[in-house]
Amino acid sequence: MKNLDLRGAGAVFRYTVQQHYKNRSVIIFLLFLFLGSLAVFPIRALVGGKAVTETAIKKVYLRNETGFMIEADDIRKDQVFSGVEIIETKDDDAALAKTISEDKTAAAAVMVIDQEKMRFDIRTNYGADSDVKGGDADALNEVLSSALHQSLLRMQSVTAEQEALLHSKTYSQVSRVSDYLRSAEETGTDTHVFANLFYCYLIIMLNTLAMSYVFQQCMEEKVSKLVESLLVSVSPAALMLGKLLAVTVFIFGGLGLVALGLFLSFRIGSQMTDPTVLTDMVSGLFNVDFTKLHISGATIALFLLCTVLAYAIAASFSAIVGSCCSRTEDTQQASLAVVLFIMIGYLVGAMVPMFENDAAYNIVSLFPLTSIFSAFPNFVCGKISAGVFTVGLLLQAVTVFFLIKTAGRVYRMMIFYRSAFPKPKQVIRMLREEKAAARLAAAAGKEDSHGE
Amino acid sequence: MGFSVRELFKKYGDKVVVDHLSFEMHQPGVYALLGTNGAGKTTSIRMILNMLAKDGGTVEWNGGPLSLKTCNVGYLAEERGLYPKNTLMDQLMFFASLRGLSRSQAKERIRYWAERLEATEYLYPQQTGAKAPKPKKADELSKGNQQKIQFMLALLSDPELLILDEPLSGLDPVNTDVFKSIIHEEIDKGKYLIMSSHQMATIEEFCTDLTILNRSKTVLQGNLAEIKKSYGLINLFVKAEQELRPLIEQAGITILSSVGFSYQCRVTGEEQANALLRTLVTQGIPLIAFELREPSLHEIFVEKVGEAHEES
Repeated sequence: MKNLDLRGAGAVFRYTVQQHYKNRSVIIFLLFLFLGSLAVFPIRALVGGKAVTETAIKKVYLRNETGFMIEADDIRKDQVFSGVEIIETKDDDAALAKTISEDKTAAAAVMVIDQEKMRFDIRTNYGADSDVKGGDADALNEVLSSALHQSLLRMQSVTAEQEALLHSKTYSQVSRVSDYLRSAEETGTDTHVFANLFYCYLIIMLNTLAMSYVFQQCMEEKVSKLVESLLVSVSPAALMLGKLLAVTVFIFGGLGLVALGLFLSFRIGSQMTDPTVLTDMVSGLFNVDFTKLHISGATIALFLLCTVLAYAIAASFSAIVGSCCSRTEDTQQASLAVVLFIMIGYLVGAMVPMFENDAAYNIVSLFPLTSIFSAFPNFVCGKISAGVFTVGLLLQAVTVFFLIKTAGRVYRMMIFYRSAFPKPKQVIRMLREEKAAARLAAAAGKEDSHGE
Repeated sequence: MGFSVRELFKKYGDKVVVDHLSFEMHQPGVYALLGTNGAGKTTSIRMILNMLAKDGGTVEWNGGPLSLKTCNVGYLAEERGLYPKNTLMDQLMFFASLRGLSRSQAKERIRYWAERLEATEYLYPQQTGAKAPKPKKADELSKGNQQKIQFMLALLSDPELLILDEPLSGLDPVNTDVFKSIIHEEIDKGKYLIMSSHQMATIEEFCTDLTILNRSKTVLQGNLAEIKKSYGLINLFVKAEQELRPLIEQAGITILSSVGFSYQCRVTGEEQANALLRTLVTQGIPLIAFELREPSLHEIFVEKVGEAHEES
């Protein structure tokens, strides 16, 4: 590396970035990406997360056939229905239908007990041209259900404390005693699996994106026959570095834009709904306890560091493979090689949490190919120690260094290569030959200088 | 001062592609690197410019190793292209920035070369109608006009050493003259030029020294005038209004080619040509042309490459 000439890398970087963002389709794509992420929370609020704060229902005709007394106060206890008039009725369905058809602010609720199925049925109806909407009727149904529940409890003389106890949730855990002893620091399996899958998914998306961009950049000068004109002014290493840095900006710029869109979306969505709606939804779906993920500034910094290292490994490996491409058709074979490389790490990384084995956690967090997927979630979920995590990151950094160095050599070696996509064996042989030639040339140079 | 290549060597596997090439330029001018297709010219140029790793040999500029740091080189490659979808001005500014030119310097030089190469209409499009002029992209230009931009890229940094690989191929006669006049100007400015071309007439017009390569080996090297002189006056051109073949053959002269009553012949020297002339005059044959001259570079090239083929 001592003779590495990186002059011109800055100019290559600036030019590549400038040309990328001058492309109209890129700007349109980024705009869609931003608007898409900006819409996530508001759409969620509009579709189902909106908390009801008022109702169009002014009168409720209640036909209670359950045999249990429903207190009007239990209904009005709900802030939304505090001003609603409750009219108990024994009218049949036809009469009720007539009543609510004539009154646009009325709803009719019928409560029955189904002895066969051993359940209560609550049915709320509103007129065809009514001001009352489905959301209002849903909210009324929930309140009536709660009022019926209160009535049942009252009948059994249940106190508020007893009721709270009855409603308390159950948390179950199965673990080995060693895991139990450190359980305060550790995250449950479900949360770990979720965090791991989410992170693996993010990294594989990032790496696939990096691969296609890097291929495109490695081949651009070959395809446009500009290589020789450029290499008079800039070394292959500087050319490669400038381009890889530019790809980093494209990818992380895109991710940043999505993150900004989501942040703004959350702020906008919070104005429209309770912000816990989304977290509750994810939490319920995957049985995830977000508090156990210890999300903080330090976690975010570590997340960024790990993401950059994972990207750098995939990008530099893609650069090695991409340097061997001479024609657009070669990218098919090249993609296969890179995807295979990434998928091995992804599959192992994604599966390991399911085995719940400490040795496996440590191994996948140390080996660079798998640690780019696993080290971060394993550390955040308390499955590996800080020491193992640090060693894992150091090994990743060393791998990045060697991959970039090799990418520079392969790029220089293959820059004039115009044949079919080479086999790995062929590239290794060429690298060996090049190294031997360099040694020979260096030795000859030394002899010359001694002679002089 | 000067440029030298010593024992340049390259092989791919067992195949030698450049076999110990050596040459020197002690003063500004044009050095020609000639050879058949696949003789190793472009590989040699790539090694000279450090684009390709050498398996042996050295390249020196002013006594030190030639590199991007030590020498301001301009290069018009044989395999030339441009970023097809990027504007021409962006590409020129990019190349200028790679050579360390400031924006104002770059703009000034681009303007100069655009005018000199008659490419202003592509780089500074005029407004037509209400629409603002759209900057031209490379793929909107013809091959010849793209070549002008590529030549500009090579000249932008005002290089001390200019390497031109097939500079005139694919150009129309008007643009060929423009390119030639610029090459003459660069020679007059005291630049070092290395030129590779298959157009022997062009090489003869510019070069002082040359190397002819055939299948990686040097088959002829030296000063062009001296090489020609060493061959002597061996080319005879005779034109008359009647058949001369029997008389020419009687004089022991080889006829290389003939069209009508015009004959291209090879003589052993001036005496043989004079003997033929005396015979023709004695017999009262009216002559339209009788010219004795040195062989052309084209003839030398064909002869040397042919000899090498026979030897191999």
